Amino acid sequence: MSESIDRQLAIDVKGVTRVFPGRVTALAGLDLNVRYGEMVAITGPSGCGKSTLLNILAAIDSPTSGSVIVAGHDLAHIHDLSGYRRHEVGLVFQLHNLLPQLSTLSNVELPMFGCGWSAHQRRTRALELLAEVDLSGCEQRLPTELSGGERQRVAIARALANEPKILLADEPTGSLDSASTARFLDLLKRLESGGMTIVMVTHAPDVAANAQRVIEMRDGTVVNESVAK
Amino acid sequence: MSFFLLITRNVWSKKARSIGLTFAVAFAVLTVVTLGVTSSGLEQSAAAIISVGKADFTVVQKDVSDTLASTIDTQQLAGLRHTPGVTSAVGVLVEIEHINADNPVFIEIGISPGDFAGFGVRVVAGSAYAPTAAHEVMLGWRAAANLGLHVGSRFDANGTWNTVTGIYSTGNAFGDAGAMFPLPAIQGYNRVPGIVTLAFVKVAPGTSVAAVTRRVAFAQPVLTTIRTAAQFGRADRDLIYLQAAVTGSTVLAILIGAVIVGNTMLLSLFERTHEFGLMRAVGWTRRRMVALLLGESLLLALMGAALGVALSFAVAAGLAHLPALKGVLHPNFTEDVFWRALYTALGMTLIGALYPTIRAALLSPLKALSYE
Ligand SMILES: Nc1ncnc2c1ncn2[C@@H]1O[C@H](COP(=O)(O)OP(=O)(O)OP(=O)(O)O)[C@@H](O)[C@H]1O
Ligand SMILES: [Mg+2]
Repeated sequence: MSESIDRQLAIDVKGVTRVFPGRVTALAGLDLNVRYGEMVAITGPSGCGKSTLLNILAAIDSPTSGSVIVAGHDLAHIHDLSGYRRHEVGLVFQLHNLLPQLSTLSNVELPMFGCGWSAHQRRTRALELLAEVDLSGCEQRLPTELSGGERQRVAIARALANEPKILLADEPTGSLDSASTARFLDLLKRLESGGMTIVMVTHAPDVAANAQRVIEMRDGTVVNESVAK
Repeated sequence: MSFFLLITRNVWSKKARSIGLTFAVAFAVLTVVTLGVTSSGLEQSAAAIISVGKADFTVVQKDVSDTLASTIDTQQLAGLRHTPGVTSAVGVLVEIEHINADNPVFIEIGISPGDFAGFGVRVVAGSAYAPTAAHEVMLGWRAAANLGLHVGSRFDANGTWNTVTGIYSTGNAFGDAGAMFPLPAIQGYNRVPGIVTLAFVKVAPGTSVAAVTRRVAFAQPVLTTIRTAAQFGRADRDLIYLQAAVTGSTVLAILIGAVIVGNTMLLSLFERTHEFGLMRAVGWTRRRMVALLLGESLLLALMGAALGVALSFAVAAGLAHLPALKGVLHPNFTEDVFWRALYTALGMTLIGALYPTIRAALLSPLKALSYE
């Protein structure tokens, strides 16, 4: 099996289907390759399976059939799912990313539990990450005391907690105004130039235009690919 | 942030739930602890009569509902005195009388002045009464202080007037809050000539107390021997019923508490489904989720236990001041009580939290995240 893993590819999806109970086919034999360091946008109409794909890549859902290899891990045969979620991928959702009762700092620390770090090490790392997303000074604020754009940047800081190779974002700018979106995209571009692999689902063409490649989905498969820049 | 701090944050942020659970645990603990301290207090008060006499063991009639209902006649007492190994057997009559609203359960002991020394009675003012005198009484120093009486005062009891000839001290709070009468006089007032309630037995030095009690039990099967306060509890049927009621109420309190805890945790689980999904999605293991939720439960249990014990102090103090229980109930807060509070709180919380915790840990992250 290990021979079939292409070391150049961050994400190697082949013939993936996902059929939900009630015979809803969310993914219908989807193929997708993403190289390390690439920034890819996935677009398509509502219900075409974008979130389903992202959830499978994040190992919080599994395909009905097909193979999914992410960062060299065949997700069908992975032993430590929690470890994979913690270290290999970072996740950003559209909404409700943060735990409302925890401070910004604690939210960023959340994925670091279980890494064998001390409370001090977690704190130091989280402060670094918050500085990276331009949120120094907001450490003790609760999520409700942040703007939508700030919250999404906290979510990115959390996603980067354990230095994943791949960032997965599901409509991260869906709830942001244009100024916040621009700032968020700046951050993504900075990560991209640092070598991060990014897969972002978005409805908005101007957001997708920031990616190296735009993948268009329909009815559970890829129907078109275009190089944006 | 440490794991413990995360637990406290979660408990703190869900205030309504935390307060509700703390009180649920506290009320169960309150029930268990208050029953425990009052029943062991009652047991001790009753057993105190026995420890008034500094004997090797005490003899009462077997199978009486209440130790004070025990009757031992002259013949039985003589039999005790003639049991090999017995050096003395002092018969005393014990009565409870309602003197006034402040002294609803006043203890009266009929005892011959010749037995004072062996009984540990010291005359601290005035003098002892004559062995067969009528209308004479000695008051314990606590009773004298409570009633505001002195040597020479008149004390109405047993349906007659009595003159206080002296004040005594036994060193036992219960005994010192009562009065002593010449034995024949009090037997006469109560129309039980020759009858005593208890016999305090001393054995010859070097003789096995256990062997002597066996001899007594063999020779006089209608009598039973008591060596410790705990045995006293077993001889008194009222106390046996009381202990059974305490055990039953304890189990019930824990079960009801566990149901409340479980129900509240389950509701909280639905409310927190999204949160749990998020934690699983960012790489929390099931084991860590269980540790977090059990940690929260444990913290709530400890808070509930502390509150419950504090409340039970107040309630027990209140009960001790009830007119009907005045002087009888001395709440007995022993170390044992605190352990019981802790076991109760931890037991009910763990039983109640187990199912919701396991459910939370087994949630599929995807389903949890899409739960609204
Ligand atoms: N848990 C589920 N059970 C049943 N059907 C589901 C489930 N999740 C998604 N679906 C269905 O699968 C299809 C794809 O859903 P998905 O969420 O991937 O779409 P999407 O492309 O992300 O849409 P949107 O742009 O609206 O977010 C939809 O038809 C949806 O109804
Ligand atoms: Mg979606």
